[in-house]
Amino acid sequence: MAQAVDGPDARARSGDLAAFEAVMRQYERLVLVTALRLLGNLEDAKDASQEVFLRLYRNLAKVEAASNYQAWLYRVTVNVCYDMGRRRRPSVAMEDVPDTVAAGDDPQQCLTGAERQRVLQMSLRTLSAKERAAVVLRDLEGLSTGEVARALGSSEATVRSQISKARVKMRDFVERYFRRRI
Amino acid sequence: MNCGDWQERIALYAGGDLAPVEVQAVERHVEECAGCQMLLSGLRQSLGLLLEAHGEPVEAAHFAAVRARVLAELERGRARAWRFAWMYAMAAAVVLLAVTMWPRTEQRLVLHVPHAPTAPAVAKVVVKAPLPQRQVTEPSETVLMKIETDNPDVVIYWIAETKGETK
Repeated sequence: MAQAVDGPDARARSGDLAAFEAVMRQYERLVLVTALRLLGNLEDAKDASQEVFLRLYRNLAKVEAASNYQAWLYRVTVNVCYDMGRRRRPSVAMEDVPDTVAAGDDPQQCLTGAERQRVLQMSLRTLSAKERAAVVLRDLEGLSTGEVARALGSSEATVRSQISKARVKMRDFVERYFRRRI
Repeated sequence: MNCGDWQERIALYAGGDLAPVEVQAVERHVEECAGCQMLLSGLRQSLGLLLEAHGEPVEAAHFAAVRARVLAELERGRARAWRFAWMYAMAAAVVLLAVTMWPRTEQRLVLHVPHAPTAPAVAKVVVKAPLPQRQVTEPSETVLMKIETDNPDVVIYWIAETKGETK
């Protein structure tokens, strides 16, 4: 119990910046990688992460127990990325996809790592913000549908519907992308 | 039931999100339907691509950069807070000084107030409606009265002026 009182969370709450740095180290992967997956751009993701951690510092007293940190951080990261996404990037239409990849039957074999990344980023950008958040948290972050629902402030049924629609849209995008090259 | 109705369930099945009671029904349908087999295969392929593309680790330097930016911003915020604290302290000192000075100022005002409105009012009356002049027939005379009290130390002198009669 004494350890919890004197732990980095408690010291960070009392304004100890070194303790807050320890808290950041603990959750930085969660925040930066999620932001990168949602925004598709490292610089934007770093800006979003900075904003998320500043909000965390201001709200340390509200995030009571360590078990709440993860859900709170996912929720705030998604919200910050929604705001940044609205300001910075329009969604992508299939007609805008450039012809840079060689034709092939199996996309996984004909794409290099960088191209694969680009195709997937473009497919993520065809999704609505909520569908993208649902698919990133469920399929990439590996949260359960219940955890995704809590992070997004939706019901599990809504999240399941968003996930299935997102998967079908992404599959359609990848299929059309390669069909255009045959 | 056509294949469009199966699409949502197949998409959930591809990611392992389908309720166990529905799994068997989806597997039976996919076994019999070539179109849904293609859909399932495409879904698995794009999910595989998604996981592979995002599996690459982010370099540690990027995490360190974010940490440094956050800490620098918090330090700046603290410096700003100290500046404001000094300003508030100075403002509080000025207010305190004003409060301690307040009673003397009030006393002075009380003394001056009764005299202020009377002077202009009299002046106006004189200008707009001059009083009729009295004609004095006899010159005025000064009367001095001395009143003695029981206390030998107290003597009252009353100086009065009699005025002449008017016509």
